[in-house]
Amino acid sequence: MKKIALAGAIVGLGLLVACQPAAQKAEAQKPKKKLTAYEKFRIAFYQNQDKWQRYCSNEAQVVPKGISVEEFKKAMLATIKFPPGGKVMGDWKRGEKLFGDPKKGGRSRRGNCYACHCGDPQIIACGNIGPSLRGYGKKGVDPKQTYMRIYNSWAFVPCSAMPRLGYWGVLKPEEIADIVAFLHSPESPINK
Amino acid sequence: MKKKGLLVLGVIAGGAVAGTLAVAKEKLPEHLRELLELGMHPGHVFVDEGRDYYHNLKGPNGKTCATCHGQDGAKLVGAYAKMPRYYKDIDAVADIDLRIYKCMTKYMGFDPKDKKFKKKYLKTYRVPLATYVASLSNGMKIDVKIQHPKEKEMYELGKKVWFTRAGAREFSCAMCHMVLAGRRIRLQGLPNPVKAKSYNHWPAYRFGSDKMWTMEDRVRTCFRAYFLFLNKWDEKKDWVKTPPFFAKEVIAVELYMKHASNGGVIEVPGLVR
Repeated sequence: MKKIALAGAIVGLGLLVACQPAAQKAEAQKPKKKLTAYEKFRIAFYQNQDKWQRYCSNEAQVVPKGISVEEFKKAMLATIKFPPGGKVMGDWKRGEKLFGDPKKGGRSRRGNCYACHCGDPQIIACGNIGPSLRGYGKKGVDPKQTYMRIYNSWAFVPCSAMPRLGYWGVLKPEEIADIVAFLHSPESPINK
Repeated sequence: MKKKGLLVLGVIAGGAVAGTLAVAKEKLPEHLRELLELGMHPGHVFVDEGRDYYHNLKGPNGKTCATCHGQDGAKLVGAYAKMPRYYKDIDAVADIDLRIYKCMTKYMGFDPKDKKFKKKYLKTYRVPLATYVASLSNGMKIDVKIQHPKEKEMYELGKKVWFTRAGAREFSCAMCHMVLAGRRIRLQGLPNPVKAKSYNHWPAYRFGSDKMWTMEDRVRTCFRAYFLFLNKWDEKKDWVKTPPFFAKEVIAVELYMKHASNGGVIEVPGLVR
């Protein structure tokens, strides 16, 4: 009996919600009570995980069987946005700071590239998780490719350790262009 | 016979402890190595502070930790080797940080609703008490069992959290501490705490930041690097830095890691970078 009543209530609520999308929206914008620290963590950790991260959340941390790597890459490629005018190379000096400000020993929370990659030969505190980027500009890579790799690394290597920096908005398109300039410009210490 | 067995055990445990210390010493800066040789481990200050709280910190009802657990932690010897585990009195799986808090609010008369006390506990009493209680199990092997349904549930959750990729940095515990273990983030080598059974030296004193940390501090702080967010990632306005103390997910990961460290000989306080 109780179950029927409950089911009725749920259906009723569903109808109510379906009939009043505008009201529902307004309610969603104004949460009634402040979220606790634990509720915030749960939303951030579970709810905000995207479908692609869910695919990669397995014991090998790679694209699982049954998911097409090509489809994965295609979907990731489609997310890439370019800076106004399609200019993929910006100001290398600004890029240097985003990559890891030399004045702060190569540290920067924005790009933080030195955590995984080596770059400027003067900065020796660099990680070896990703390939070394010393002399990167001389390797003949298309700057547009470099831009796309930084914007969404999973468009090239799905589930890789490299964050999708543009996709999540850790870096703005213009900022990525600045980093691309730091990597490719002949004046940049990376290529000296 | 029993005595002989104990002696053998003692020698083996002693050897293992000396072994781990020898490994740890290699990576230590000179001044800390000297301190260790003089018997002055910075972490021992916390053990002493914890011992003091254990015997002298009175709850509103006049009880101390020693009232129930005996002089010098007599009844807590070996307790840390089995934590985190299910506790019937609180009907939950608890790590050392939560277990001590629950003891204080359930049996010493501190008010569980008193936010001021909780803050004082988290900031002042927690780490020394946890370090002291953990040190009572020194020389013993880690022996975490997964038996109670709630322990099984927590173990599964811990395993799930270990592999979950999340946040604007696509992190998971497994990515850095399994797939990339052995490589370097900047100059910091990435350990594999599950394979290396390195839970045995936690709580540990971190000489890089001059702080004593329990494993709960270690796990919670790892989440900072995930760049978790509520609506859209923003370093200044939207950064869910860490889960709160006693979060289920944190205790679950501790259980998962410590179970993997079963058999490791406890040597607390540890000394890490």
